[in-house]
Amino acid sequence: MKKLFILIFSFATVALQAQDFNKNLASARTAYSAGNLEDARFAMQQMMNDIDLLVGKEILNLLPTKMDALSANTKEDNVTANTGLAGVLIHRTYGTGEKTAQIDIMGNSPLVASINAILSIPFIGNSSDGTQKVIKVQGYKGVMQKSVNTETNKENFTVQVPLNSTLLTLTINDSNEADAQRLAGTIPVTEIAKLVQ
Amino acid sequence: MKSKILLVGTALLVMSFSLNAQGLMNKLKQKAEQAAEKALDKKVQDKTGVNTGGNQTNSGGNGNSGSGNPSNKGGGGLVTTPPDVNANLADAETSFKSHSYGDARYAVQQAMLGVEMEIGNKVLKSLPETVSGLPYEKERDQVTSTGWGWVGLTIQREYQKDDKQLRTMIANNSAWMSAVNMYLANGGYSQSTGGQQNWKQTKVKGHKAVIEYNESSGYKLSVPLGQTSLIVWEAVNFASEQEVMTAANAFDIDGLIKTLGEK
Repeated sequence: MKKLFILIFSFATVALQAQDFNKNLASARTAYSAGNLEDARFAMQQMMNDIDLLVGKEILNLLPTKMDALSANTKEDNVTANTGLAGVLIHRTYGTGEKTAQIDIMGNSPLVASINAILSIPFIGNSSDGTQKVIKVQGYKGVMQKSVNTETNKENFTVQVPLNSTLLTLTINDSNEADAQRLAGTIPVTEIAKLVQ
Repeated sequence: MKSKILLVGTALLVMSFSLNAQGLMNKLKQKAEQAAEKALDKKVQDKTGVNTGGNQTNSGGNGNSGSGNPSNKGGGGLVTTPPDVNANLADAETSFKSHSYGDARYAVQQAMLGVEMEIGNKVLKSLPETVSGLPYEKERDQVTSTGWGWVGLTIQREYQKDDKQLRTMIANNSAWMSAVNMYLANGGYSQSTGGQQNWKQTKVKGHKAVIEYNESSGYKLSVPLGQTSLIVWEAVNFASEQEVMTAANAFDIDGLIKTLGEK
């Protein structure tokens, strides 16, 4: 019953978003025809936000609902558009205790060029002490970084995968390298890449 | 040696979080951005058959010298027709209806680029043709918009006579506007007595501004326009601050604010 309500709610949200897009499209056309260039541009920016929000919600639906024993905190799911510097921001967290994970997807990320540079230089991509290495997630190259909590000796991992101008980041604490790489593989990167291209 | 490599790797990672990264990261980022720009332009060319005027200047061209490759002796250059706004809006609508959100987004970006180029050209036409006896250099007029990212729209015009030059740059919807507004708002920049005064707050036609002076580059006067725009004048070989202020007063600041849609 709860799942049915969530499904109906998400269809309603998508329908509303489509209405916003069409409304903003009409505003853009009217403003442009009347020579109000600035109003036309503003309406087009709103159209971009509408698309970003829709794509963001579709991506959220693709993300895994569990990371091993950690369940997704769907109430904290977040999609933000029009952030200024970056494009759309998609955020999901897993787990509520000491062991948690989170997925962040940032469109038009300014970090993408830097990560791509690291991926293309092997002697920088792979560090000799194992704290950084280049890995593949569903065929896409990414950078995995490890940090160790000096008090608890627990290992935390970040996996960053650039997809065109979008950056996907998985952060998982209290884990190990094999698990971090395996969990990164549960994210449907190929489908997400198609949506953000 | 190993620790040096790790240190370099760590330093490069840290630098990557700074928008003002120097040296290697800047070059690599520039290369990445140039590649992204080329890919975008190719996509536009495939779609519309024309190149947009949205190309940022690419430094370091490919020299085809050596190894038996011919060097380029001439060509037709690039067509700089802005994208057709109405056609791209129609594309966006079609793509959106068929749930091709990537294509819809691209079409909206192209429509925005077209509108920004029109706004830019409108601003350029409104700028004076002569300032303080310096005529404008028509071939150096430039409107640049990438339609995406955080660069925004930039409009440039240069005025020059002999070795006296006034470069005017207007930035609209630019992310680095926030840096200038912080510059003016936080009061960190104030006037001091004694010593060399290299910058100070001033006003141009009632609008708050900052003027700087550097012995090697001359004067630089910046005026924020509304919330997301900025006009900057760089004056080379101007005799005094007053000369620069007189030149700036030749511009219709309120008119620019209105054209750019600012308040």
